[in-house]
Amino acid sequence: MPTVFVNPERCIGCLQCEFACATEHSTTHQVALAPFELPPPRKRIHVAAGPRPSTAFPNKCRHCDPAPCQQVCPTGAIRRDAEHDVVLIDGAKCIACAMCAMVCPFDVITFYALANGAAGRTVAVKCDSCIERLRAGRIPACVESCKVDALVFGDLNEIVAAGRQRETAAVFAATTAADSARPMPESIVAWRDLGAATARAGGTR
Amino acid sequence: MSAVERNGHRGDDLARMTMPDDAQQMLEVARDRGISTVWDRLAAQEPQCGYCALGVSCRNCSMGPCRIDPFGEGPQKGVCGAGADLIVARNLGRAIAAGSSAHSDHGRDILEVFAATAKGDTSGYQITDEAKLRRLAEEWGVTTGDRPVAEIASDLADAMYTDFGSRKKELGFVERAPDQRRALWERLGLTPRGIDRENVEMLHRTHMGVDSDYANILLHGLRTSLADGWGGSMIATELSDVMFGTPTPRMSQVNLGTLKVDQVNIALHGHNPLLSDVIVQAAADPELVALAHEKGAAGINLVGLCCTGNELLMRRGVPIAGNHLMQELVIMTGALEAMVVDYQCIMPSVTDVAKCFHTKVISTSDKAKFPGATHVPFDPQHGLDIGKAIVRMAVEAYPDRNPDRVRIPTEPVPMMSGFSVEAIVGALGGTPGPLVDAIAAGSIRGAVAVVGCNNPKIALDYAHVMLTRRLIENDILVLVTGCAAVANGKAGQMVPDAADSAGPGLRTVCRALGIPPVLHMGSCVDNTRVLVLAAALAKHLGVDISALPLAGAAPEWYSEKAIAIGAYVVASGITTVLGVQPPIFGSTNVVNLLANGLEGVVGAKFAVEPDPEKAAVLIRRHIEEKRRGLGLPFIEPATITAEPVPAGA
Repeated sequence: MPTVFVNPERCIGCLQCEFACATEHSTTHQVALAPFELPPPRKRIHVAAGPRPSTAFPNKCRHCDPAPCQQVCPTGAIRRDAEHDVVLIDGAKCIACAMCAMVCPFDVITFYALANGAAGRTVAVKCDSCIERLRAGRIPACVESCKVDALVFGDLNEIVAAGRQRETAAVFAATTAADSARPMPESIVAWRDLGAATARAGGTR
Repeated sequence: MSAVERNGHRGDDLARMTMPDDAQQMLEVARDRGISTVWDRLAAQEPQCGYCALGVSCRNCSMGPCRIDPFGEGPQKGVCGAGADLIVARNLGRAIAAGSSAHSDHGRDILEVFAATAKGDTSGYQITDEAKLRRLAEEWGVTTGDRPVAEIASDLADAMYTDFGSRKKELGFVERAPDQRRALWERLGLTPRGIDRENVEMLHRTHMGVDSDYANILLHGLRTSLADGWGGSMIATELSDVMFGTPTPRMSQVNLGTLKVDQVNIALHGHNPLLSDVIVQAAADPELVALAHEKGAAGINLVGLCCTGNELLMRRGVPIAGNHLMQELVIMTGALEAMVVDYQCIMPSVTDVAKCFHTKVISTSDKAKFPGATHVPFDPQHGLDIGKAIVRMAVEAYPDRNPDRVRIPTEPVPMMSGFSVEAIVGALGGTPGPLVDAIAAGSIRGAVAVVGCNNPKIALDYAHVMLTRRLIENDILVLVTGCAAVANGKAGQMVPDAADSAGPGLRTVCRALGIPPVLHMGSCVDNTRVLVLAAALAKHLGVDISALPLAGAAPEWYSEKAIAIGAYVVASGITTVLGVQPPIFGSTNVVNLLANGLEGVVGAKFAVEPDPEKAAVLIRRHIEEKRRGLGLPFIEPATITAEPVPAGA
């Protein structure tokens, strides 16, 4: 079953996935209008600053199986869509008790009132893997917005196998550069080095 | 969870930040009261957009916006076909034009009031330095002789007005540059022709479908910046001197301790001295002082902030409360009745912070309004009346002060200011000769202009102070302007006794002249004073500026104006080290041109080094290279490291 796979080392923190996610989950689905809707559309992917400058991790629901959130939900508001293997929240049943958020291994369940929620009540909000898009044969909005392969969509084993192939190629490509199959551009190396140097100058030595 | 707590790697531990004590204490107030500061907002912005940080996003047209995948696998061309090189160059070019425009519009405002003053149409302004007016008039081909001052001033104003348009082949002040530099500019097509013209042409060139050669855009970027440094900014500096007086060395004080617990405190913030100078006159008005007494205050205390503060400090010795990143914190003392702002570097957040206290924010320029501020439009015809009205507003706010919330965190630090080129040359006995001799003998290795802003990405003042300390320890004279000057003032490095922390050669020279090892040359438009001094040294030696043992540094820069300054300093032949990376790293070609290729074109280049210790080594090596080039005694550059030289070595 295809899923969203994260390559954190590729993320440059542009936040385009957050923007696309919120827009996708808006009423208008338009970049220029979505930011002005009330209640505001909410992102379900969260790009957190990494431990070092110029690094970031796009964090989102991993659609665990079994899903701890589903197991602890007292009202049965959380279920798994069998066709697309996606964990979904039914806002109408949600009582915002936050049990799901307490057990979530990734801390990606948030609480907001939504345009399609029950009469403005605050409910649990998280990634639904853009299930409407999946049903239409499209990939999730966050993956579509990501231009640097930090987010990719595909079968887990195939993605992992592709990575393994790159590693294998790297082993034989050169003895000096373990990542030479996918070299890091000079510009990125210089940018991150300077970012780290800036942070040291910023008093975090 | 607050933004600061959310941030994993910066800003969450005040104790670890090597900031001045007054700032740290005010940050405690901010934290206790839940007031957002620039550091919180930076944390909330992270991770900042990588495309933008690399300079590879383009918003210039609506086929876009576009961005180039810096990893090389996604799009490598914008919709129009521009690659990373062109997009980075376009963005940098526009930043230079914006910075040059800011300085030059400031210069135009000064020129307009100067012209009106010549015609007698202003109140609160006069020609203060007539001798300088006459020198400038002669430079600009305006007849002086026995003519009335007003006529000379009027003709000079007309001559300077023409520099803003496109009627000339080169700007008036270009003649101040050494012949070798002017010939080089002419050969490369870098001679600035019109102050506004170069800015407009940059906007034209960076429109889609015009200049698509990144190197050609960058060369015009240098010309654009030269129209600032040798044009708009230089007019601002020189005419401010004529109207408000050419600075001479004087003692004053710096940091938040300059606020007085029992007085009406007014902070003058921004860049243009036009209004603030008449406020200094207005604050001495006996009627307003009496009103202050009536309200229970012991008097009216003016303090400066940022470059308006530097202008007043240089010419009138008005104490300065802080630099760029102190503008929110000064309000948190709870002792500020009014913050009077003109323009540039005034954070829109100051009105938000002011809402938590009794402080009135008063905006004064019709081109810079701030929601939440009281707007009192500046008008030079009624300058003094407006100044008095503003001071009155501050005095009347004094009873609203809550004494329980007043926390003035520290005692002020003394600092010496007022080193115009005229003052420096005067201190040397009327010629740059003694300075040249000291450099030639090696007691002073060279001079470095440490300039520019504060940036919350660097611990407040840390890079300015550390770099300056390392340079003076190694006998390098440091010239400072803008926020860098205020940083060094706070650190106690700008009093004559600071000569003790200089190396033996520089210490001796400073002791002999009674000057600090770090000389305050003014506001950020006053970086033109550095150009004038460099040109005078070069002419004295008969060489180009690029041959001199000089360097520039902007360790904590943030603004487009700083980009323009960096560009005109490099285009004038002085290698410059930036402490914060500019948004150019998405193009290796642009980086290579600016950090290497320019050396062979204009005899100077850029470097980026956030660590002030390493920047100091880089600069010291550069200065020794230049000494070698001039045939002066030099230290082998490769032997210079960050390790202190053992005593007696």
